[in-house]
Amino acid sequence: MQKPSKFLVWLSTFIFCFLFWLLLTWSVAARELILGGIVSAVVAAFSGRFLIHHQAFYLYNPVRLVILIFYCAIIFLWEVIKANLSMAKLVLSPKLKYEAGIIRVPGSEKIKSEYGLAMVSNCITLTPGTITMDVAEDEDGKNYYYVHWINVAESDREKAGEAIKGRMERWIGRIWK
Amino acid sequence: MRIAIDILLGLGVFFILVGVLGVNRMPDVFGRLQASTCIATMGTISIVIAGILYAIANAGETVTYVKLAVLLLLVMGTNPISNHALCKAAYKMGVKPSKELAIDDYKEDDPE
Repeated sequence: MQKPSKFLVWLSTFIFCFLFWLLLTWSVAARELILGGIVSAVVAAFSGRFLIHHQAFYLYNPVRLVILIFYCAIIFLWEVIKANLSMAKLVLSPKLKYEAGIIRVPGSEKIKSEYGLAMVSNCITLTPGTITMDVAEDEDGKNYYYVHWINVAESDREKAGEAIKGRMERWIGRIWK
Repeated sequence: MRIAIDILLGLGVFFILVGVLGVNRMPDVFGRLQASTCIATMGTISIVIAGILYAIANAGETVTYVKLAVLLLLVMGTNPISNHALCKAAYKMGVKPSKELAIDDYKEDDPE
């Protein structure tokens, strides 16, 4: 994959920083806008190359943004609620059933980029009961997540992967590749 | 509206209680880390949504909702990173789990 030009990297990071600045200050006074522009330009010049590696404007796409918001607000929230309820049941039961293990689950074929991998592993970590410890790649370029699972219900790795991240991964595959 | 806010606040406090109890009851480091995720997810989500509803009910300014939403985003964005780092560091340092792990692929494969 070819690297995007320096200017595009800077511009993309600049837009991101500036939108974040607008969210934080929430005013359109000229002073705030000019100050935000200067700060964002400096920050983007220094940090753009860490943030953007492939396509500079990949996420500035209405379809992807809508899917991202839908995913965060509905799918992810539902998974978090389910996991929280089972965690509450586990903690409040008089006899603590604790059968932990670290299991290697195969990642999806579609998700190859760093952003996608990072988002899947962060979503796994955010659901109580599972923590991603590492992501590794084998010789064929297939990705594996090492997940610490509090209650190993399934020792078959494919099925465990489906139980841990099945639906979340399918939705993230529509956002990142 | 008032009732919805109360229910959400109660839910948030309940899940924070679950998280704290879990941190106390779990037998080892990894279990404690897992239980603490409850506080950062359901606790924060419910309480922030309750705050947003409260601001709407009392005709607060738009700034309030936006800042609450940004707060939620920041907590949800930074919590998994610290949790992952702590868990991996504890494993690499050789912290012993309270009893044998049911399955340990990480030790068998040992990436890097």
